[in-house]
Amino acid sequence: MTEPILSVRDLCVDYATPNGLTRAVKNVSFDISAGEVLGLAGESGSGKSTVAFAIARLHRPPAFITGGSINLAGTDVLALQGRELRAWRWRDLSVVLQSAMNALNPVLRVSAQFADMFKAHGITTKADIRDRTADLLQMVGIKPDRMDDYPHQFSGGMRQRIVIAMALALRPKLVVMDEPTTALDVVVQRELLEEVAALRHKLGFAVLFITHDLALMSQFCDRVGVMLRGQLIELSTPTAMVAEPQQDYTRRLWASIPPLHPKPGETLVRMKETPQ
Amino acid sequence: MNGLPEFGARPVLEARGLSMHFGAFCALDSADFSLYSGRALALVGESGSGKSTCAKLLTHVLTASAGHIFHAGRDVTKLRGRQALLNYRSAVQMVFQDPFAALNPAHTVEHHLTRPLALHRPDLSTAQRRDAVDELLRAVDLDPAITLRKHPHEMSGGQRQRVNLARALAVNPAVLIADEPTSMLDVSIRLSVLDTFRDLKRERGIAMLYITHDIATARYVAEETAVIFRGRIVERGPTAQVIDSPRHAYTRLLLAAVPEVGSPFGAGNSLAPLAAQVRESCDRPGTLREVTPGHWVRFAA
Repeated sequence: MTEPILSVRDLCVDYATPNGLTRAVKNVSFDISAGEVLGLAGESGSGKSTVAFAIARLHRPPAFITGGSINLAGTDVLALQGRELRAWRWRDLSVVLQSAMNALNPVLRVSAQFADMFKAHGITTKADIRDRTADLLQMVGIKPDRMDDYPHQFSGGMRQRIVIAMALALRPKLVVMDEPTTALDVVVQRELLEEVAALRHKLGFAVLFITHDLALMSQFCDRVGVMLRGQLIELSTPTAMVAEPQQDYTRRLWASIPPLHPKPGETLVRMKETPQ
Repeated sequence: MNGLPEFGARPVLEARGLSMHFGAFCALDSADFSLYSGRALALVGESGSGKSTCAKLLTHVLTASAGHIFHAGRDVTKLRGRQALLNYRSAVQMVFQDPFAALNPAHTVEHHLTRPLALHRPDLSTAQRRDAVDELLRAVDLDPAITLRKHPHEMSGGQRQRVNLARALAVNPAVLIADEPTSMLDVSIRLSVLDTFRDLKRERGIAMLYITHDIATARYVAEETAVIFRGRIVERGPTAQVIDSPRHAYTRLLLAAVPEVGSPFGAGNSLAPLAAQVRESCDRPGTLREVTPGHWVRFAA
């Protein structure tokens, strides 16, 4: 693909615990090209969400970035402060989190929440805001005349569509999606991700997709990475990683997915969990 | 294992014409199914399809609007009195979706397992109770020496779900209802947790209702599968048959949506048209017909 839009180099994130610092992310480096979908998979506690939060500068104490660099489209992300950071977030990079019900304010109409976001980024004309909101909802398959409804009047899948519409509002270069469909059922998940796949071709944004579902990641992503105990242990295309996993852990992770149609003689791996 | 119960076997729990209305909304429409000792029925469907309503009716959290539930030869649809409810609940236990919310964060694993024993088996001495707790933990593949003193926050999601299973088993239930027991766990550990459910069901002769939206996992737990859509069972039969030769359009849609390695999204395999078509066409009630022995499919009338 083209040259990278995001460059992460030797990223280290530590958590301060009563027993000293625990390194949650260890020297992680990767690039994402413009318009590319990169998946990061791993088990709970592998550090995948910590990477996503660090890139979006959403990490909060006790998490601290203790090393490395993050560059998004020429901006030194770790140097951003105050107003600059607030303007950069959402304009250049937006975030979609797991629970849409928690991301939307339950006591505000959807239109008011779009207005808040637009006003924070200097778009203040009422008519302009309503037009843009209508276009965005239309784009994700929600009838614009529902913009004045409250979040509880939508299903979980529709709420997640609304959150995605909001994330695309300012045409960001990168959208970070942290388990965006984990709370949804498989049919809705599939419809939603097909929609995102179509939109990124249309609008050209790149996606960092965080998941624990390797099968889903292999269907949706151009390249996939696997994290284990804070390290990025493998990074390649889905086809290459399934055919020839470089690490034993990756091989076992693939083999732990319960297949729909098991082949005779196929051995499934029962993974031991790592206690927290 | 063909998925059909043995000829002449009597169900442990039976639902006949079970329905639930919330005002004008019909959450469950005349569901028929039977649970047998040592076997599992998977109830598969999307959010809002009525599968959790089913669990709430069977556990008497809700009272059915119509229909019957039979247990041990008696109609238990309407139970009267605290003792009757207590007896029924010790026979029908439940494991919930969220392993984090189902355990009290202030108490140890030991407390969580000792309490049901003290309530439902007052005949046990303190020493016997302690042995019973150890035995329960070993049954769900946890080491009592390590686990007993732990609080929920010191365990992973899978370990917590194992504790929830042990808690349900503490009262020796005849029926276990598991509502999405692995959907909040990492994909990589789902199989090993499901293995434990499957093995215990067989070893202890428990009749199990496995509720899930992930039809791929049904094969690893349940001999029989029922697919539910908008409050109606649309297909029911031996799990292998339902997965390998699905007859109802909704079952096909569910199967096609399961994430599978090696079939990237792209032109030609979009599910959106099929999904729209299924949602539109499935509003007519229709009737269930047996297509092969034990395999029932709902056809438009």
